[in-house]
Amino acid sequence: MQLKRPASPLHLGLIAASCTLLSGTARAQTADDTAEQPLQIDADLLYYKENAGRVQTIEPVVNLKKDFGDQRLLDGTLTLDTLSGATPNGAIPARTPQTFASPSSTSLTPKPGYKTTLYTIAPGNLPQDPHFKESRIAGDLDWSQPIGLDNTLSYGGHASTEHDFYSVAAHAGLSHDFNEKNTTLSAGVNEEYDRIHAHGGNPVPASNYALYEKESSQTKNVAGGLIGVTQVMRGNWLTELNYTFDHSQGYLTDPYRIISVVDDTGAVTGYRYENRPDTRTRQSLYLVNKVALGPTVLDLSYRRSKDSWGIGSDTVDAKLRIDLGSGMYFEPHARWYHQSAADFYNLYLTDTSPAPAYMSADPRLATFAATTFGFKFGIATSRHGELSLRLEQYQQRPSDQSSSLPELQGLDLNPNLKATIVQLSWHLEY
Amino acid sequence: MRIRSFARLTILLGLLPTMCGCGAMGVKPWQREILARPEMALNAEPIDSAIDAHIYFSKEAASGGRSFGGGGCGCN
Amino acid sequence: MSTGRAAAGGASPPPHAPDFEVLPREGGIIAACFVAMASPCELLLEIADADAAREIGRLAAQEAWRIETKFSRYRPDSIVSVINRSQGDEVVVDGETAALLDYAVHCQALSQGRFDITSGVLRRCWTFDGSDRLPEPAAIAALLPLIGFEKVRWESPRITLPAGMEIDFGGIGKEYAVDRVLALVTARFTGAALVNFGGDLAANRAPGAGPWQVGVERPDTDREARLLLELSRGGLATSGDTHRFLLRDGVRYGHILDRRSGWPVRDTPRSVTVAAASCVEAGMLATFAMLQGGSAESFLEEQGVRYWCLR
Repeated sequence: MQLKRPASPLHLGLIAASCTLLSGTARAQTADDTAEQPLQIDADLLYYKENAGRVQTIEPVVNLKKDFGDQRLLDGTLTLDTLSGATPNGAIPARTPQTFASPSSTSLTPKPGYKTTLYTIAPGNLPQDPHFKESRIAGDLDWSQPIGLDNTLSYGGHASTEHDFYSVAAHAGLSHDFNEKNTTLSAGVNEEYDRIHAHGGNPVPASNYALYEKESSQTKNVAGGLIGVTQVMRGNWLTELNYTFDHSQGYLTDPYRIISVVDDTGAVTGYRYENRPDTRTRQSLYLVNKVALGPTVLDLSYRRSKDSWGIGSDTVDAKLRIDLGSGMYFEPHARWYHQSAADFYNLYLTDTSPAPAYMSADPRLATFAATTFGFKFGIATSRHGELSLRLEQYQQRPSDQSSSLPELQGLDLNPNLKATIVQLSWHLEY
Repeated sequence: MRIRSFARLTILLGLLPTMCGCGAMGVKPWQREILARPEMALNAEPIDSAIDAHIYFSKEAASGGRSFGGGGCGCN
Repeated sequence: MSTGRAAAGGASPPPHAPDFEVLPREGGIIAACFVAMASPCELLLEIADADAAREIGRLAAQEAWRIETKFSRYRPDSIVSVINRSQGDEVVVDGETAALLDYAVHCQALSQGRFDITSGVLRRCWTFDGSDRLPEPAAIAALLPLIGFEKVRWESPRITLPAGMEIDFGGIGKEYAVDRVLALVTARFTGAALVNFGGDLAANRAPGAGPWQVGVERPDTDREARLLLELSRGGLATSGDTHRFLLRDGVRYGHILDRRSGWPVRDTPRSVTVAAASCVEAGMLATFAMLQGGSAESFLEEQGVRYWCLR
């Protein structure tokens, strides 16, 4: 008998291959214990709350996945969304009290046969509609199945309804595996149709707020496409690159959003309803890398997008799933986002120059940076169950928050946004 | 400026496979043990992703990328 | 205690023959004996309950027979025969077959092409009957284009074997069956177990009385060359020259063929026995060593494994 030496590279390769061959059989014997179960249920509860008494939402989500064998999978999701709290209406703070009508009002001044609900904002405060309340119900249904050995077809639909918004969408995608399933090419198309019928009617875009002109419901549709490639780089490294393109057409304006009009001193002289172009094309490139570093898994992604409104954005997102053993894991998450403003975005308009064709003071179209920091903690409750808690803090910091006009000096015209996200998840397999 | 930076990224991403060396990419079927772990799926936490997509869709101008641009909500 | 019966099993009985018996052995061991893959097979269990031993032994035998039925190149309905008859048509295989084919591809790469599951066609011109009848070089040369797994289109789970080529799982199948049966037994039985299929064996752990005492028979050698080994856990496999050789002009032509030339590998050891973590791993190392011919020992030395070479 010879003395033992360390295993050679050839021997190590053979050990790996033998283990793979035999672990396959080990799995075959314990199929009842480890195989994916045919029915998976996910129940989630999301609590989202913004600072300073602004919007909060409670959102239960239920997801069912049913495996019909042969990789034929049905995936259904039901989401309920209850939103309440104060919502900025787009106007800037002023030195004098400002009075607005809640959108459901049909007249700015009380008169018979009309409904008027007013709210007044104290000097220096950001105008927000305190009566905002919305609930939404959304359903998604997706089916995917293999076609032959190397292709997967998926298609599905989405429908959601709110008091003022109705949306239906359909999508279909095909993916093809090749190169020993190391490379996957995907392509998909998506079509969405929306109907917008704002509380109290849709305002006439760019019209004077004081005239309070409303019109009938409006529609928009979005057509999109995606092509992507997924590549296995190494035994512990997976990467995906997606290009998405979409084109929106129709009523893209926010019916509840107004913009302040000020004179050359900065004193508010009136408001206009916002008006956005009726087309928008968007493109994005998304690159994600998934790398296993021992039991820890890193998910690192980058997205670059731009659209025909002049908005460009960069997003970097990193998650590190750290396996703590005993069925527990801890997952810190960090996200950084930056966008440049839409060409027609302004904090306010001045009455000394003619009104532009398109205008919006929606803070979501401003230049800002945003960060998210948080973590998720998960624990296995049984062989087929998991409970997890996610806590995150989201913060937006706009770059333009003030004006040099005398009446506006010292006012925070577009305050920072802070939000807390709490998500409780429960996963079970049958 | 915006267009230029987009183009620059495209070129950079185009170079990525070249830098990695096509010959070295990919694994044999018996080397997929790690890739087969559920947490190595590209969308390992689909519900979290959907919730995040919805939150960011309603608070930011850009959306999608991972898949379609999101929507179905009057919040944006 | 010796586990090995004569390794050269003689006539091959039908695989589903009711040739199954349970016998007590010394030291609280019960043996389930049956014949599979043209070899005497036994499963040794450290167990007191003979009925339980019989039940586990039946499962083991059924699994061995299942693997033989599925992968034997002699059985017309086996997946190997289906692939060999495919005449260049694509065949879609199941997961277990795919795993074995993947393993074969991996072993081909690790051996730098020396090991190849398509080299069996050389049997058409080589008959190792102890005579001096060497094949015609032209006949060998005519077969070489039919050898080389790189000519096979294998994209799991689809295999396209060019017409005229053949595959077989010699050097893999029996060893795989040993490991598979041991895993099956271990999943149902917590005690010590040893699986021995004609000298290729694997154990899950040592019985209470100490390691398994294994006698490795090396036919074609005298009794003194018989190996007595101790094995606690892991696999043990032997690759040997046995009676299979040709002798001409004083040159011995062993049955281990170099698939690149079509001629026997020169200076192979008479027998190589290797101990490793599993039987498939031990068997493949023993096969690799034989393919190294004269440098078998130094090859095994480099691998850092326990081995016994007989020249």
